Amino acid sequence: MFWKLRLPLILTFCVGLVPIVTFFLTEKVPGVSFVRDKVEQYMVIIAGFALLLGVVNVTQSNIRKIEKRKPGWPFAVSLLAGLFVMGTMGILSAVRVGPFQGLLTTADGTVTPFYWMTRSFFSPLQAAMFSLLAFYVASAAFRAFRVRNVEASILMIAAFLVMLGRTPLGEYAFGWIRGGELWLPGLTDWIMAVPNTAAQRGIIIGAALGGASMSLRVILGIERSYLGAKH
Amino acid sequence: MRLESLINLDRRIVYLLIAIGTLLPVLMPIGFRVTTTAPVEAMFEKIESLGPEDVVMISFDYGPTTAPENTPMAEAALRHCFARHVKVVVLALFPIGGITMAGEVLATVAPEFPDLVYGRDYVLLGYKDGAQAAMKQMGVGIANVFPRDNAGTPLEELPLMQKVQTYADVDLVITYATNIIGDYWANLVNAQFGVPVAIGCTAVSAPKFYAFYDSRQIIGLLGGLKGASEYEHLIVSHYPELRPAYSQAGIYNAMRGMDAQTVDHAIIMVFILFGNIVYFLILRRDRRASRRSA
Repeated sequence: MFWKLRLPLILTFCVGLVPIVTFFLTEKVPGVSFVRDKVEQYMVIIAGFALLLGVVNVTQSNIRKIEKRKPGWPFAVSLLAGLFVMGTMGILSAVRVGPFQGLLTTADGTVTPFYWMTRSFFSPLQAAMFSLLAFYVASAAFRAFRVRNVEASILMIAAFLVMLGRTPLGEYAFGWIRGGELWLPGLTDWIMAVPNTAAQRGIIIGAALGGASMSLRVILGIERSYLGAKH
Repeated sequence: MRLESLINLDRRIVYLLIAIGTLLPVLMPIGFRVTTTAPVEAMFEKIESLGPEDVVMISFDYGPTTAPENTPMAEAALRHCFARHVKVVVLALFPIGGITMAGEVLATVAPEFPDLVYGRDYVLLGYKDGAQAAMKQMGVGIANVFPRDNAGTPLEELPLMQKVQTYADVDLVITYATNIIGDYWANLVNAQFGVPVAIGCTAVSAPKFYAFYDSRQIIGLLGGLKGASEYEHLIVSHYPELRPAYSQAGIYNAMRGMDAQTVDHAIIMVFILFGNIVYFLILRRDRRASRRSA
């Protein structure tokens, strides 16, 4: 009970309080800068371990998928192969073992194996995945933007104007009228600066308040889901 | 042809037209006009106000997925800084390719300025995980987070980093961000340390950053390819010596990319209009049919 519940709760409470308390105290208070700096340095290290946790999780779930020959299991094999080949190369390159001298190029300009893999496989694959979005967005816009009710009409008109105004087409649309080339871009800027900003600000403030209340729940031990299902 | 078949148009036709609309302007550039907007001009003016004694920190917080949008803006601002002899500290906080992007942009731009000396005029610190924690700790000491540069040289051996110890020694932070790391630079580094921050983001995230721009938490904003093309236009018109970098045939830049984006936007808008016209025709037909049956 103590090791699995109370100790993590005490640790979370103490460590969670450090950034809040030190933010309000000046560095003249003894020990403030020491504790704050140590916690922040450990946060960088722990963030690295979070990546490791992700790797373990991905490995476990994909090994299970391969063992049970679930649909798409060959993709799991290629995912694990990519993960471990790139991961191993990255670690060797970071600690500079043998030919693995750094993550980019060596001092004489030679491309390192890690960089070669990144440039030849990782970058083109990532770019190809993301570029497919253009096709899906076009298809989805054709299907989804329908003037079905007032809200949908407002959304569609705003989207239409912004799409037009964010390209030179917006200038050409009324370019034949003197001064008209600035009408649509001006309207687009207004949409972005006024209604959009108002809505975004509401979302940002709401999310920040939600984040702060969630952090308080974790620090005070009310929210315990991170300790596992049992607690 | 039945109206239903038009509204349920085969999506492969949409894909084909988008592919043509992207490829043709890339192969045969159109050269649309570029006009600049206030958030882009604000970032340009900020760098214009800096000189050889000033330091800009550039954080590469994006990966290959958004490189066509982010890389042209990163190259343009880096060229601008180097043209004004502003010192540049480059780092990456994005785990999925940030350091690769930083290395590639530096490898493209730095050789265009042969007088530059690594360590004196610019530095590549490398990648560090834990974005928020790393940003906060750099306010105490950059060397606490990056004790060595990307090549493994201790920071104390680099003349530029002897001068740049914390954010207090930095005049501007620019982040090229594809996700929430851009928010952190604004609401953590600017808010807590008071460093001016400018953001170059993807078009998808630009609406969010207008709120930060409006509240002066960021001093400039380059939104997507349009923002990048505006910045390129500004540096080309103010620095004629930088024109060759943007006039070489076959080299991708945002001004050329805007041709494809403009044509694609036009195709999407035509499809939206077409879809709505067919939708209304169906509604009208159904209403008439129901009236007749009544």
